[in-house]
Amino acid sequence: MQNDRYKQYIFIALILLAAWLAFPVSQLLAEGPRYKQVVPHYDLTFPQDYGAHPDFRIEWWYVTGWLETSEKKPLGFQITFFRPSTGHNPENPSQFAPKQLIIGHAALSDPAVGRLIYDEKTARAGFGLAYAREGDTDVKLDDWYFVRSPDGSYTTEVQADKFGLHLTLKPSQSLMLQGKKGFSRKGPDIEQASYYYSKPHLQVSGIIRHQGQTLTVKGHAWLDHEWSSELLDSRADGWDWVSVNLDDGSALMAFQIRGKNDKKLWAYAKLRDANGHEILFAPEQVEFIPVRTWQSPHTNATYPVEMRIRTDKTEWRLMPLFDDQELDSRSSTGAVYWEGAVTVFRDEQKVGRGYLELTGYVESLDL
Amino acid sequence: MKAASLTTWLLLSEWRARFVQLIVAVMAIALGVALGFSIHLINTAAFNEFSAASKSLSGQSDLQVYGTRGLFDESLYPRLAQYEGVKLANPVLEFTAIVPDKLESRNNHKLRILGIDMFRAANMSPDLLGVPAEDKLMDGLADDAIFLSPAAKEWLQVRQGDILRLNVGMQSIALRVAGGLTRARAGQRVAIMDIGAAQWHFQYLGLLSRIELKLDAGVRHAIFKEKLQKELGAQFFVAEIVDQEARVANMSRAYRVNLNMLALVALFTGAFLVFSTQALSVIRRRSQFALLRVLGFTQRQLLRQMVMEGFVLGAIGSLAGLAVGYSFAALAIKLLGGDLGSGFFPGIQPSLYLSPIAALVYFFVGLGVTLLGSILPVLEAVRARPAVVLKPGSQDSAMERLSTPWPAMICLSAGILSTQLPPIHELPVFGYLAIALLLIGGISLMPRFAVWAFSFWMRIVNGFISRGRLNAVSLMIFARLANAPNQASIALSGVLASFSLMVAMAIMVLSFRVSVDNWLEYVLPADLYVRAADSGNQGGFQSVEQQIMTALPGFARIDFFRVQQLVLDPNRPEITLFARPIDNANPGNTLPLIGEMMEQTQWPKDSRPLWVSEAMVDLYGYTVGKQVMIPIGNMLREFTVVGIWRDYGRQFGAVQMQLSDYQMLSNDLSINTVALWLQSQTTMTDAYATLQQLPFSDALEITQSQAIRAKSLEIFDRSFAVTYLLEVIAVVIGLLGVAASFSAQTLARKNEFGMLRHIGVTRRQILAMLAAEGTLLTLLGVAIGFMLGWAISLILIFIVNPQSFHWTMQLHMPWSWLILIAGILLVSASMTALTAGRRAVSANVIRAVKEDW
Amino acid sequence: MLELRYINKAYAENRQVLCNLSFALKSGEYVAIMGESGVGKSTLLNLVAGLDKPDSGEVLIEGIEISRLDDEAVTLLRRQVFGFIFQAFHVLPHLTLSQNIALPLLLNHISDDRVNKMLAEVGLQGRGDHFPRQLSGGELQRVAIARALVHRPKLVLADEPTGNLDPDTAHDVLQLMRDEIKRNGASGILVTHSHAAAATADRVLILTKQGLQPAEKVKSI
Repeated sequence: MQNDRYKQYIFIALILLAAWLAFPVSQLLAEGPRYKQVVPHYDLTFPQDYGAHPDFRIEWWYVTGWLETSEKKPLGFQITFFRPSTGHNPENPSQFAPKQLIIGHAALSDPAVGRLIYDEKTARAGFGLAYAREGDTDVKLDDWYFVRSPDGSYTTEVQADKFGLHLTLKPSQSLMLQGKKGFSRKGPDIEQASYYYSKPHLQVSGIIRHQGQTLTVKGHAWLDHEWSSELLDSRADGWDWVSVNLDDGSALMAFQIRGKNDKKLWAYAKLRDANGHEILFAPEQVEFIPVRTWQSPHTNATYPVEMRIRTDKTEWRLMPLFDDQELDSRSSTGAVYWEGAVTVFRDEQKVGRGYLELTGYVESLDL
Repeated sequence: MKAASLTTWLLLSEWRARFVQLIVAVMAIALGVALGFSIHLINTAAFNEFSAASKSLSGQSDLQVYGTRGLFDESLYPRLAQYEGVKLANPVLEFTAIVPDKLESRNNHKLRILGIDMFRAANMSPDLLGVPAEDKLMDGLADDAIFLSPAAKEWLQVRQGDILRLNVGMQSIALRVAGGLTRARAGQRVAIMDIGAAQWHFQYLGLLSRIELKLDAGVRHAIFKEKLQKELGAQFFVAEIVDQEARVANMSRAYRVNLNMLALVALFTGAFLVFSTQALSVIRRRSQFALLRVLGFTQRQLLRQMVMEGFVLGAIGSLAGLAVGYSFAALAIKLLGGDLGSGFFPGIQPSLYLSPIAALVYFFVGLGVTLLGSILPVLEAVRARPAVVLKPGSQDSAMERLSTPWPAMICLSAGILSTQLPPIHELPVFGYLAIALLLIGGISLMPRFAVWAFSFWMRIVNGFISRGRLNAVSLMIFARLANAPNQASIALSGVLASFSLMVAMAIMVLSFRVSVDNWLEYVLPADLYVRAADSGNQGGFQSVEQQIMTALPGFARIDFFRVQQLVLDPNRPEITLFARPIDNANPGNTLPLIGEMMEQTQWPKDSRPLWVSEAMVDLYGYTVGKQVMIPIGNMLREFTVVGIWRDYGRQFGAVQMQLSDYQMLSNDLSINTVALWLQSQTTMTDAYATLQQLPFSDALEITQSQAIRAKSLEIFDRSFAVTYLLEVIAVVIGLLGVAASFSAQTLARKNEFGMLRHIGVTRRQILAMLAAEGTLLTLLGVAIGFMLGWAISLILIFIVNPQSFHWTMQLHMPWSWLILIAGILLVSASMTALTAGRRAVSANVIRAVKEDW
Repeated sequence: MLELRYINKAYAENRQVLCNLSFALKSGEYVAIMGESGVGKSTLLNLVAGLDKPDSGEVLIEGIEISRLDDEAVTLLRRQVFGFIFQAFHVLPHLTLSQNIALPLLLNHISDDRVNKMLAEVGLQGRGDHFPRQLSGGELQRVAIARALVHRPKLVLADEPTGNLDPDTAHDVLQLMRDEIKRNGASGILVTHSHAAAATADRVLILTKQGLQPAEKVKSI
C-alpha cells in the first residue's frame, strides 16, 4: 500500500527528473505541447527575467545558505520552488487544468539534530492559491511564497509542520550570469542548456521556528534561478553541484554531469571575485574528486559527502556540516537527493561556506 | 442438591419422551433468531459498507461544504482555501456519466466519476488517487485519462489502456483507462479523473460538487461550522462527517427497520410455537407435577424446573439460530447482494462483520421469547391444587386461566389505540406495536372463537343425535372442538400467527403493487420517453435540440421535463425537482394528485405554484397553502404549495413546478427528458425510426413507457422477494407448529384412542376423526387468521407505509392468492394431523388404557 | 358363547404367558378371573376382545373364530358384541355423560333411546348433560358401566374396574355392574385382584401357569 502511494507521487519526482534528464520527455510528451528552446546569444532582461517563464518546461528558484542564531550556532537552509509544466492539453479552459505545477522543497540542517529536517508541497497553479508570476520573482504555494520587492530584496516564508522560515534576503553584489551571458550548457549537445543566473552573497535576516522555538537568525545565502525545456543528456545519471560564498567576497559555482559508471559527461565552474572579475572554466578544467563517502541508513545510497573540486589549478575541499543531509521523500514526492551545507577549504584554510547537491546516487531515481 | 438432580432427571426423561416436538420448538426459535440475526447482519454489513464507501469518497475531512442546488461556482474554492482556520481545502466534482454500452440496463447504466485535484486529495482522501502505469506516470494529470476501481473495470469490462466511451449531453467522449485506484472498497464502482479534465470534458466548467475542509489544529469545529454557515448563506450548507452519516442512515433507515421488524415477526411466530409446545407439554404433565407436589416439591422448585426447560430450549435454539443466521447472511450477500435485491445500497459489495453485541442481543431476544412462551403455561400448572389435577377431564381446565378475555381485550384495545399514535423518529414503532398487540390479543381470544363456532356446530349436531342420524365420529369431533377449545387453539396459535402475518403481507404487497401499477400509468402517460445525458449542470437538450424535437413529424404531443436534485436539509437525502408543463386549471390531468388542493383561483398572486409529493408533507411540513422557499438558479424563490401528489419513486421527497416558472427564475432553458405522444396513425416502429434519424440520436436514451412500467414492477417484485421468503418461512414454522401440536396431542390422547379402539372404533374412523379435527381447526384458524391478517394489513398499508416511506396506497385484496394459501394450509394441516394420527392407531394405544396418564 | 382352544401366547423375550389354555364361557354366565400380576390376565382379555392375536389356538365368539378375522372385521364385531369397563374409567372428558353413553349406540347405528334409561339404571338420571369433570370416581365408573351395556352387548369385559375406588364405592359399583350384566342378559368376565370383587361373580377362576382353574381347587393346593 505504501508502495502504491509511492507510485502516484513518484511522478512528481519524475517531472523534476524529466526536467533534468532529457530522456523521458520525448516519451511523455510525444503528442504534448512544444516548449520554447534555450538558445545561445539571448540577452536576459531584468526585472522581466526575474519572473516566471511558463513557456519553458521547467524552472526553479533555489536558495541555499548558512544561518547563525543569536547564540552563534550554525544552521543550513534550503528553499526551492519548482515550476514544471505538465503537458496537460493547453486548450483545456478549466481553471483547474493542471498545466503548471508549483512544487516547494524546504529543508533545515542543524548539526544538533544530526539529520535534515524538510518538508515539501505540490499544487497546480491556479485560483491565486499557487502561482509563479511573470514580470518579477513572485512565487506562491498556498502559504509558502518567494517574492522580490522592487528594491531588489527577496522575502520568503515557509511554514511546515516541524519548522518554519521567514527570511529577508538582501543582495550585496550584482547578479551573476552563469555560462555565457546566462546561457548555461549542461552537456555536449548545444540544446542541453538552460538560462541561468545566480545571486551570491545575499544578506539574510529573519526568524525561524525550530524545535518549538522562534529564533532570530542572520546569515548569507545564494540564489539560483534557472529555466529550460531540455537540460540533460540521455546518458546522464546525476550531477554534483556546489555554490560557495567565499569569505573574501568571491563567489564560486561548479557542477559536473555524471554519466553511467560515474564518468564525467560535462562540467562547469565560474569564479567571480569581489570586484566582479569572472573566470569561466572549460569542462575539462573542472574535476570533482570524492574524498569520503557516507552511506545513508535511510536509502542505502552512498554519497561522496566530502569532495575535492579542482578548477584548473585551484583545489577546493568541501567538508559537510554533518553527514546526514539526505532529503529522502520517497514516502511522499519520491525525490531523494543529498543537499547539504558545506564548509570550503583552500590550502587547508577555511575560505568560505556553501551548499553541495548530490543527485542520482539512489537506485530508484534510475526510472 | 438432590432436588436439583431430580429436576435434571425429570427434565431429561421428559425430553426423551417428546423429542420431536422439542426439536420443532427449538427449530422455530432457531429460525426466528436466524432470520432476525441474518437480516441484521446483512443490513449492518450493507449499511456499513455503503457508509464506508461514501466516507471513502469524502475522505478524512473535518467539514464539507455543499451547494443546496447541487453544483456551485468554483470561486468558493479559493475563498475557503484561504479562510482563517482552514488548513486544507479539497475541491471535488462528483457526477455520474452515462455509459452508452450499458444503456439497456435502465437503472444501472451510470458511472460515478470523481474529479479531484490529486495534490489536495492526497492529504484528504489518499485512497482516491489514480495509480498510473509505470511508464505513464504523468497520467494522473492527463486530460484524457480516467482511473477505475476494480469493480468499475469489471463492470465496464475494460483494462488499463482501453478506451472508455461516455455520453455527455448530445456527445460521446473517449477516455483512456489509465489505471486503478490506490484502494477502492470491494464492489465499489467509481472512477477518478483530474478535476480540470473532468470539468472540461463533462461540461462542468467553473463548477464543483463539494469542498472538503481540514481545519487547523485547535479550531473548534462546531463554532467554525456555525460561523462559516452564516457567512456562506442559504445557498450552501456546511456538514460534518456525522451529518453525512446521518444522511446515509436516513436514506435506508426505513427499509432496514421494516426488514428487521419482519424478522422479529418471524421470531414472534416462533414464540407462539414454543408457547404451544410448552403449554401442551405442561398439560400432559399436570398429573406428573401434581405427583411431584404431593411428593413434596415446592411451587418454586417446579417453576424453576420449567423455567430451566425453557432456558435450555431457548439457549440451544438461539445459538443454533445465530449460527444459521450467520451462514444465511453470508449466502444471501453472496447471491443477492447487500440490499437483498431491493436497490437500496447500490454499487457496493459488503462483507459480514460479526458483532458480539448484536449476537448477544439476538441471543437474549430468542431466549427471552422462549422463556416467555414457556413460563405462561407453567404458572398455572404450578399453582394448580394437586387434588384437582388428578381427576380426569381436568386437563382442559388447565388452560382456563389463559382464556380469561380481559388480557386479550386489553391487548386489542391497546393495539387499536397504538394505531392512532404518531411515528417515533419517523419510524412506525407504534404501528408495529399495534400489530404485535393485535396478534397476541387475537390469538388469546382464539379459544373463545372456537367455543362460539364449534358450540354452534355442536347444537346442530345434537339435533342430529336425537334423530339418530349422526355417527359417533362426528359427535366426538365436534364435542372435542367445542368443549376443549384451549388445547385446540394452542395447537393453532403458531400457524395462526404466521398465517395472519402472511395474509397481512400478501394484502399489503398486492395493494402496493396495484397502487404502483396505477401510479405508473398515471405518471407515464406518454408513449415514449427520450433522455440525454446531462452536460454539466445543464440538461442534455439545449434549445436547438428542443426545436428539432418539436418539429418532428408523427407525434401528437411533446412535453419537456427539467429534472434536478436539490438539497433542502443537509441532514436529509436530496429531493427531486421536476419542472414540466402542468395544466394549471386541471393539474390532476398531469399529476396523480391526492387529498386537498388549492384551486387556481385561490393561488396567491405574488407566488408561484408548487406541487409536492406526500413525502414533502411528512418530512418538510409542506402542507397545502404553505409558502415555501426553493433554491432555483442561485437564489431561494418563494412558492406556494397548491397540491399534493402521490410518488412511489422518491421516498425522500419530490416537487413539481411549471417549466415556464423554472425557466424564468433560473435562466436555464435546457431540459433532460422529452415525453412523446404518438399520433394515432404512427406506429412505434415509425416513431423509433424518426428518432433514429436525429443527428444526435446516438446520445439519446429512448424508452417506451411500457418498458419502464415493466421494469419498475420487476424491481418492485424483486425488492419484495425477501418478504415472500420471510412469509414462506413463517408459514413453514407455523405448519411445523401444527405438526408438533398434533403429535403432542395424539400422544396425550393415546388412552382415549385406546378406549375407542376397545369399544369398536375402527382405525380408519380414528384417522378420519383426527384429520377432520385438524381440518376444522385449521379452517377456524384460517378464518380468524384472515380477519387478523386483514386488520394487520390495514395497519401496514395505512400506518407503517406512510410513516416509513411517506406514501399512501389503496387497499386491494389478493383473493385468489389468499384462497390458494388457505387451501394449501388446510390440506397440509390435515395431512399433518393424519401423519400424527398414525401413532394413534398403533397397537400400543390398546395397552394405553392400562396407564393412568 | 365364548370358547378358547389351546391358546398359546408369548412375548418377544420368549416369555410364555399363556400355554395351551382352554376355557369356555356360557351365555349369561358372569365369571371372575383372578391371578398374580404378570400371569397374563390382561393378555387373556385382549385375546378375547380380538385386540391381540394368539400365537396358536383359537378364540371363538358365538362360533366365529375371531383370530382369523382382519382388524376391521374384529372391530365391527367388537363394537356389537362387547362392552368394556376399565380401571381408569376412560370416560371422554369433552363429551357429556349422555354422549359418552351414546357412543356405542352411535357406532352401531342404533337409536340412542336407551341412553336415558341407562342413566337412570346407574343412578345418574337427570345428569346427562353434565361433563365428566363434575363427577366423582364412583360416578364415572357408573357412566362406564352404562356405556358398556347400553348397546346390549353379549359379553362385558371388566379389567379391575374398582382398582381406583374406595371399598364402599367399589362395593356399590360391583353390585351395579353385576345387576346390569344380568339385567341385560349379557355374559361377563371380571378380572380383579380383589376377593371381595370376585365374590360378586357366579364363579371364580384363577389364572396360573397351568391355565384357568376353579378357585376352590387352587385354594386347596
